[in-house]
Amino acid sequence: MSAHTRVSIVIVLLLAATASGACRRGPAIDTTQVTAVAVTGSLPTEDPLAAAWDGAPEYPAALLPQDIIEPKLMTAGAARVTVRALHNGDWIVFRLGWDDPTENILAQTGVTSDSAAIQLPAQAGSLVPDPAMGEAGKAVHLLYWKALWQDDAARAATGQDRIAALYPNATTDHYPFLANPAAKEEMARRYAPADAAGNPVTRRASTSAVQELVAEGYGTTAAAPSQQALGHGAWRNGQWLVTIARPLDEGPGMARLTPGQKTFLAVAVWDGTSRQAGARKMRSVWIPLVLQATAAR
Amino acid sequence: MARVYNWQLGRAMDYWYSENRPKRQFGAVFDINKCIACQTCTLSCKTTWTSGRGQEFMFWNNVETKPYGYYPLAWDVNLLEALGPQTWDGATYSGRTVFEAAPEGERVLGWMPEAIDYASPNIGEDEINGSVDKGMALSLPQQIWMFYLARICNHCTYPACLASCPRSSIYKRPEDGIVVLDQSRCRGYQECVRACPYKKVYFNPSTGTSEKCIACFPKIEEGIQPQCFVNCIGKIRLQGWVNPPERAREDNPIDYLVHVRKLALPLYPQFGLEPNVYYVPPIHVPDPFLIQMFGPGAPAAVKTYRNARNDKTLAGLFALFGSTERTIPFFRISGDEAIALDDDHRETVRVPIYEPLVIRPAEDPTRRIIRLNTT
Ligand code: SF4
Ligand code: SF4
Repeated sequence: MSAHTRVSIVIVLLLAATASGACRRGPAIDTTQVTAVAVTGSLPTEDPLAAAWDGAPEYPAALLPQDIIEPKLMTAGAARVTVRALHNGDWIVFRLGWDDPTENILAQTGVTSDSAAIQLPAQAGSLVPDPAMGEAGKAVHLLYWKALWQDDAARAATGQDRIAALYPNATTDHYPFLANPAAKEEMARRYAPADAAGNPVTRRASTSAVQELVAEGYGTTAAAPSQQALGHGAWRNGQWLVTIARPLDEGPGMARLTPGQKTFLAVAVWDGTSRQAGARKMRSVWIPLVLQATAAR
Repeated sequence: MARVYNWQLGRAMDYWYSENRPKRQFGAVFDINKCIACQTCTLSCKTTWTSGRGQEFMFWNNVETKPYGYYPLAWDVNLLEALGPQTWDGATYSGRTVFEAAPEGERVLGWMPEAIDYASPNIGEDEINGSVDKGMALSLPQQIWMFYLARICNHCTYPACLASCPRSSIYKRPEDGIVVLDQSRCRGYQECVRACPYKKVYFNPSTGTSEKCIACFPKIEEGIQPQCFVNCIGKIRLQGWVNPPERAREDNPIDYLVHVRKLALPLYPQFGLEPNVYYVPPIHVPDPFLIQMFGPGAPAAVKTYRNARNDKTLAGLFALFGSTERTIPFFRISGDEAIALDDDHRETVRVPIYEPLVIRPAEDPTRRIIRLNTT
């Protein structure tokens, strides 16, 4: 070995040492896959700021505008989402982080609610569905978090609805559904057709910040048969950190996650200020997802 | 994009879906010259359909004063500006529709209103188009003008709302052509709010879904005209069924006014949606404005309307407006009466074409008084 080569090796080792030193201060970065770290005990399902997240490596997912089908997103939004994951053999929890200078919670005309989603192939395996919402016969399972739904759940405790939150100083002469207190609930539904039709996106329906959906291609999203997902987002200093959690096994028709196995996930985010909703979103390609094996129980 | 035929433009055009006309198409005629902007129509709709939480700002039926009234704010001028100057070549539209002018990445050329744009539904009310200088009030014919424009969803043949929805939550009922938004499917993306040139889809911030006029379809199914028609104080409205021109029938009141007499015209036909609410244009408005709003047929329609009183069929048909709750699919004139007929050509109502006119002198010598005209 020449002196020259020896010097090179020393430099490489020095660089490696510097990199791992940085690791101790910041997150461990893994650019190859999302690793769901196996832990024991409870998971920070609704705590994006928990210390437990320090133990999970971070995958930086590059986002692209949805520009395959109209309506397209013509102005790019958030370019990157960081993904971390933990599981305890029963549940898995993801934490997504992305930059968003404005916090948009309530939707109204021309403004949407900040949202994020995780997509999983309904069937694990190497033959993944089309990353753009799956395809006929090859479903995807979606975990969809919306700031609005989280806010609904929080406001429900105080009895405040979306309109009171949007227009706190508004007064109204009369709502017909208030005329007959006995029939109030029934009348309120009558004047809220989406509620009466059982639409899962309405205020009455949103009991969790995360809704579970299935899709087999663009425009086919429908409520999933199981709705157990949880999550919580925190917006601080121009950044959203959002947890999204679900049981590993949710029964038939839903993606089943198995410790020790490899599958895939994709992520998407929507920015309310830029009126992103539905097809107008920033999305990733499929990313490998590996659940660390759990110690035999 | 598919190629479809739009008779209002006199040519084929691009549309997101292929041509698929319903069995019959909801159609209506509004006689602008008779509207008094009482807003009874607006309130009859509001109390029936949009009295709920999240619908406070919503008027599926609204009446605005043109040229300066808009609901929502600047709905038409915003789109006219986005579309840019366009041309007609006689009765054929040589410009671009909102589908043909769709920018890269979009299905439709549209624009997204904001919540504040719905906050002044009465803006511009009763405002005339120019300032009245000294002496102006006495110079006739009028140089200054305004008119009331009552608007509902046009239940378009080629709806932009329907084309824009990535979830296909909006559909056109095959039995009557009424355009409805599936409240169980909508996920509140607001693409339809952006796309409808007439801004007749509204986002409900309480439910998080979009809502629109349903043409009172439960009434239509019973053969009864919608709320805003039967409650109209000015009797300006008639609801029936409109055929494409090649299938027009002389005994169908809507076909007669739209196709046979070319007296009732679509609103902004150049947008390309083939809207199915037709307007008898106001008679005192300058041609360029009327042509921009109702297409090249407007000056001729005004001419026909000015003579309508002397035309028994037209006078009789207008006498049937507001004469019955029932939908009027057919009509006929018999002597001095106009008769409304149902689907089986059975008579539903009969009205005199001309109301008796009594002229009394101002002075009553018996009672030795001077009578005053009061309205
Ligand atoms: S009820 Fe009739 S007259 Fe009154 S504003 Fe409405 S359309 Fe005009
Ligand atoms: S007027 Fe607007 S809402 Fe009504 S059918 Fe046409 S595009 Fe749709």
